[in-house]
Amino acid sequence: MKIRIRSRKYMPFVFLSPFLILFALFYIAPLIYGFYLSLFHKYGLRPSTFVGMENYVKAFTDNGFLSSILTMGEFFLIQGSIMIFLALLFALYIDNEKNHFRGFFRLVYYIPFAIPTVISGILWGFMYSKSLSPFQSIFGLVGLHPNFLASNSLFWSILNIVTWEWVGYNMIIIYSGLQSIPRELYESARMDGARNFDIIKYIKLPLIVPSLVLAVVFTVIGTFQIFNEPYVLQSMTYVSIHFTPNLYIYTTAFSYGNFNFAAAMAIVLALVTFAVSMIFMRFAGFKEE
Amino acid sequence: MDTKKNLYSPSTIIILALMFVASVYFLLPFFWIIVASTKSDSQLFSTNPLWFTSPFNFLNNVQTVSSYDNSILWRWFLNSIIYAGSVSAGTTLISAMAGFAFSKYDFKGKNTIFYIILGTIMVPTTALVLPIYLLMHGLNLINTYWAVILPSLVNPFTVYLMRIFWMKEFPNELIDAAHVDGASDFAIFFRIGLPLVRGGLATVALFSFVGTWNNFFLPLVVISKSNLYPLTLGLQVWTSITTTSVGRGAPPYGAITMGILISIIPLILAFILLRKYWQSGLSSGAVKG
Repeated sequence: MKIRIRSRKYMPFVFLSPFLILFALFYIAPLIYGFYLSLFHKYGLRPSTFVGMENYVKAFTDNGFLSSILTMGEFFLIQGSIMIFLALLFALYIDNEKNHFRGFFRLVYYIPFAIPTVISGILWGFMYSKSLSPFQSIFGLVGLHPNFLASNSLFWSILNIVTWEWVGYNMIIIYSGLQSIPRELYESARMDGARNFDIIKYIKLPLIVPSLVLAVVFTVIGTFQIFNEPYVLQSMTYVSIHFTPNLYIYTTAFSYGNFNFAAAMAIVLALVTFAVSMIFMRFAGFKEE
Repeated sequence: MDTKKNLYSPSTIIILALMFVASVYFLLPFFWIIVASTKSDSQLFSTNPLWFTSPFNFLNNVQTVSSYDNSILWRWFLNSIIYAGSVSAGTTLISAMAGFAFSKYDFKGKNTIFYIILGTIMVPTTALVLPIYLLMHGLNLINTYWAVILPSLVNPFTVYLMRIFWMKEFPNELIDAAHVDGASDFAIFFRIGLPLVRGGLATVALFSFVGTWNNFFLPLVVISKSNLYPLTLGLQVWTSITTTSVGRGAPPYGAITMGILISIIPLILAFILLRKYWQSGLSSGAVKG
């Protein structure tokens, strides 16, 4: 890379130092400390004892933890597919200059992203609850009385909340990819007799693969971290603490006071997230720059 | 001609209709909360959830929420502004400086440092927040504004965004010219650079403001004094008290629905008024992807 500014050697670090100092304190140090914690065990009031990898062995054999990861894996496959598919359709629609109300749809679909996920959780939780739900009367018309907060429908109810929150965000990522495609490509394709569908299939889709990969990787990261929605719903219905890894980790640390085991699970979760993201990026043949 | 044909074709109309159906889905919770905020608690449970009813209790609910528990909701509102405002200002400056260093200087280990920072986007918040809680505890910073603000200032994503903005908006020839004129690196950054990347600054400021306003997990862990709660945490606590308790002293639903409305109005306004920025911001992020 070409040298842009010829100054004293320390200058770049003057500009970097505020970030690097905070990064070291609130990213690197906690990660190292978390790893350190994960190697110990504390029995009651006695001092911590070094147990090596014991907490990790425990994590990999803890049915609750494994089930939370599997649940989120399943959630990712189902919710991720639905969400990315919808986001892609919406993005293709708002990208086409001939379509009507593009600006309106872009704003309306994106606006749930602006709402705190806790608030979305409370809102949907109220709308799911029997006594407040606008859906009960709608479903009642066809003789159905669904209980959205029952344990067998909770997965789908949370799936709906998460989709509502994040479709627009993913739409914008994909839309940005579409917007960066030179318009001349479409013109010349049209002159060669290509129809809209051909343009989507042969020009748009191949060129937005990086945006799609980005959207999927963000979805992987986001899904394995789901916490707020099930946490909020806990006050309205029974939600298993094994529903998501973060819910279990949080409960282990702050309700059971077992920070060591929680730290180990948090690190395993980080590794799982990293591995799934990497596998996906490899799979999509994605390279940085 | 083509446009006219598209306007009237049946498929165009069907697609447009589906887009409007999707809009109803995305807007429904907003509509529901607006309707709910105009009802007294008894109206909330006895009238059509999707339509207004008389008497109109909007102002009563404003009064209820404003006076409940010594006007604590407005205190939470102020807290949210303090958290989000200071994090937004700090993050924007820190990220602008770091992005400047990464895009305009060459130094040893530049790429390694940059990719380490980028890689930490994948670290789940629990892996950071658990140790941060213990660190803050050790520093006696639990239940202070600092406990939320300091960790939130570190944002790998905004550094990444600012680097792109510096590369795109600040031509390297300008640096050479400024050097010839004898400008210092700081003058280049502050006087020539910052005005040129103001679009990036606005984007980063908006994203970190919204991100901090919406944050729940960190305050949940490091704040337990109710007068330091941000809105998200306060409203979640109110909701869980009201939905789980049958006894007296729980906040009325009117306070919660109005509180939710108050908590989301600034964000919706910000997103509508500043849509130019989040659109440009996300596109520059995704194009490079």
